[in-house]
Amino acid sequence: MAEMLKVNGLKAWYGESQALHGTSFEVNSGEVVTLLGRNGAGKSTTLRSIMGLVAKRAGSIRYDEKELVGAPSHRIARAGIALCPEERGIFSSLNVRENLLLPPAIRPGGMTVDQIFELFPNLKERLTSQGTKLSGGEQQMLAIGRILRTGARLLMLDEPTEGLAPVIIEQIAATVKTLKTLGFTILLVEQNVTFAAGLADRHYVMELGRVVDEIPGPAFADRIDSLKTYLGV
Amino acid sequence: MITIFGVPSVVLFGQLLLGLINGAFYAMLSLGLAVIFGMMNIVNFAHGALYMMGALGAWILLEYFGIGYWWALVLAPLGVGIFGIVIERTMLRPLYKLDHLYGMLLTFGLSLIIQGVFRDWFGSSGQPYAIPAALSGGTNLGFMFLPTYRAWVIVASLVVCLGTWFVIERTKLGSYLRAATENAPLVQAFGIDVPRMVMLTFGAGVALAALAGVLAAPIYQVNPLMGADVIIVVFAVVVIGGMGSIMGAIVTGFLVGLVEGLTRAFYPQGSSTVVFVMMAIVLLLRPAGLFGSKPEAAGGVHVSLDAPAPAFRTEILLFLGMAALLIIGPAFVYSGFLMKAMLFALFACAFNLIAGYGRLVSFGHAMFLGTAGYVCGHAAKVWGLTPELAILTGTLSATVLGVVTGWLAIRSRGIYFAMVTLALAQMIYFVALQAPFTGGEDGLQNIPRGKLFGLFDLNDHTLLYGFVLVVFLGGFLLIAQVVRSPFGQVLKAIREHEPRAQSLGYSTDHYKLAAFTLSATLAGLAGATKAVVLQLASLTDVHWGMSGEVLLMTFLGGVGTLYGPVAGAFIVIAMQNYLASLGQWVTVIHGAIFVVCVLAFRRGLVGELIAFLGRSRKPATPAKTPQAAPEAG
Ligand SMILES: Nc1ncnc2c1ncn2[C@@H]1O[C@H](COP(=O)(O)OP(=O)(O)OP(=O)(O)O)[C@@H](O)[C@H]1O
Ligand SMILES: [Mg+2]
Repeated sequence: MAEMLKVNGLKAWYGESQALHGTSFEVNSGEVVTLLGRNGAGKSTTLRSIMGLVAKRAGSIRYDEKELVGAPSHRIARAGIALCPEERGIFSSLNVRENLLLPPAIRPGGMTVDQIFELFPNLKERLTSQGTKLSGGEQQMLAIGRILRTGARLLMLDEPTEGLAPVIIEQIAATVKTLKTLGFTILLVEQNVTFAAGLADRHYVMELGRVVDEIPGPAFADRIDSLKTYLGV
Repeated sequence: MITIFGVPSVVLFGQLLLGLINGAFYAMLSLGLAVIFGMMNIVNFAHGALYMMGALGAWILLEYFGIGYWWALVLAPLGVGIFGIVIERTMLRPLYKLDHLYGMLLTFGLSLIIQGVFRDWFGSSGQPYAIPAALSGGTNLGFMFLPTYRAWVIVASLVVCLGTWFVIERTKLGSYLRAATENAPLVQAFGIDVPRMVMLTFGAGVALAALAGVLAAPIYQVNPLMGADVIIVVFAVVVIGGMGSIMGAIVTGFLVGLVEGLTRAFYPQGSSTVVFVMMAIVLLLRPAGLFGSKPEAAGGVHVSLDAPAPAFRTEILLFLGMAALLIIGPAFVYSGFLMKAMLFALFACAFNLIAGYGRLVSFGHAMFLGTAGYVCGHAAKVWGLTPELAILTGTLSATVLGVVTGWLAIRSRGIYFAMVTLALAQMIYFVALQAPFTGGEDGLQNIPRGKLFGLFDLNDHTLLYGFVLVVFLGGFLLIAQVVRSPFGQVLKAIREHEPRAQSLGYSTDHYKLAAFTLSATLAGLAGATKAVVLQLASLTDVHWGMSGEVLLMTFLGGVGTLYGPVAGAFIVIAMQNYLASLGQWVTVIHGAIFVVCVLAFRRGLVGELIAFLGRSRKPATPAKTPQAAPEAG
């Protein structure tokens, strides 16, 4: 399998305080990989740093043989990476259709709007509603749906199940599986271990701004105890 | 002849038409301001100057290049738009992460530079610009005569306003703009080059101002100051409408124009103040504005400019040093200059009390200086009061004005506070211009100095100097005490974190109002004393230019430092005295100082000095960077 993303010794700062202290991992083309870890371990910061949303960062982020650690975020997006942020980032001054169509297509091969409606039929009913008037689950679908159109190959999803009802979590799990069969590569941040276990090819565990362990998908059940220690549950 | 409530209908309709025309310009200007503010969080004070550049650009194109109206309609906005883009790239870009007030200060400086340069080139008299042939003439509508050009301006501005609204609310490009207003980093993370979009938005907003200028050229006299007063009315329009909505800016612009027109028909004296009265009423009833939805931003990243206070002993030594210098000063320097500088220093220290320690940056402090001057002059000249009583009366008038305007203004904060105080001061200016006892353009002249307490004749220069010295040092000491007192500490706590101060049980509004009133009172003391010393109270002291000067003195010297405003006042007054021969270039220099201060010297001279001394004393601890780079998002 071809290596798609290689993060090496990534450091990131918020102002004076350092949040990442040399994070390293890689994601291969077509894989689903999760980042697990306690609150504040630096999972979101890792995704935000890859996306160029943390201003001060050092180390190396190679994507498709290109070095991205110094690039501005719109250049990173145009290289083929898309982020679904933890806070979802639905725009309240845009209606659902505008939210869905906001990210520009950066290369051919994205899903069509109709394909997205097949994944998330709810969205089709609400096209003219204000974006933030949707329910939490619908907003999450919108946040995922809008990055599927653009032709990005690496999707980074930050805790897509956070605060959602079990039925909706199932729907999102099914979506992630579909996206994998469609050839998307997915980097997933999760706190919900059962959700992650069912989906991922590999897991990385983060602690204090570093990747401290790697767990292959098949070994997940055997390692569940050490994982619980890591996550403190 | 048909009359309506005693006004001939022809007059009424004529005034309504004029109101609609003015409203068209208010709408176009406040629209551009709203778009720029939404994207960049910058209140573009230079908007009026850029509007003037559009009008003057059209005039220059015609006069020097023979290029007519229709081409000017394209070329002038294009040129001004490019000029705006250069400004955005070179000066505004570093400011986005800072407190929004810096953007307002910098663009204020820019407007001084632009207006000064154009006044030097073209003088301040108006130039006529002929109505293009195709639009001359008019139609008799039966109830009134409608000049074609005026009809064209209304139609054109409506098309421009509604077109802008359509682009922003109904197109793909508009959805980028709206989304970036909400969360620019995320929009950029979707692959949109947001910095370039911001640059082009500023260019477009500024081009809109220039387009308004070209449309205005055949109606008003084209002159370098034509934008200076308009921009203040437009700020009031913005406060009335609220910054949140594009349609709100358009509707409010036309509405304010119509109300002005109606007032001019029924009560002409009130026509120049009615918009400010409207603003006050809206502030009372709907502080967020008629269409406002966006909560008032307190400002961007908070920048603490506080310099460490020197030890008590050092402070006493510094104060004694300053007093000694001022006592022996007249032996070396012209005492008239020193007195003027001391009174302005007091004014600046008073301003600094709320701007530096309370972080309420008023853009209208001249109203206290000027009002106190007029009242004191009137008391001395007409009522024949002795100077100390006249000064007391003047000072108290500033106190009263401070309570009223402060009560209105502290409902808003940050840049809104700045705009509200500016607008209220402009209202006072128009009152001073029209009131019977202020002497209009001439001001109050030959105010008698009289005998202090009936004993000491202030016409004696040594006594006068001593008196001013006592007033200045007394005021300065009072401010130093207040800053150190528990009251001052609470004020600083409010500045650092208002919600926290509130949760500690402080009624922050009362503290702010008290500080504002005290500041107004001391500004009034300076103004009243100045009226006695110079024997003159004039419009200069209530003009917005004076409010700008006190800002300049304080920021140049160092806002939030005790001695900064004093140093700033002495420098600015010295510049005015010794560079007077440069004419308009003094304004340009003032503007340039603003720009340099905001870009490179945000602590001011004294602030930088204190920071430098603090650094060199403790080299081990890294100097705390005043603006830690905030993270995207
Ligand atoms: N905007 C910010 N400014 C300052 N510090 C931040 C900011 N965002 C995160 N941090 C800090 O950086 C560290 C890593 O945070 P991050 O959000 O990456 O953790 P996380 O693993 O995503 O946690 P969670 O599971 O709670 O989402 C934490 O210590 C956090 O307090
Ligand atoms: Mg997180």
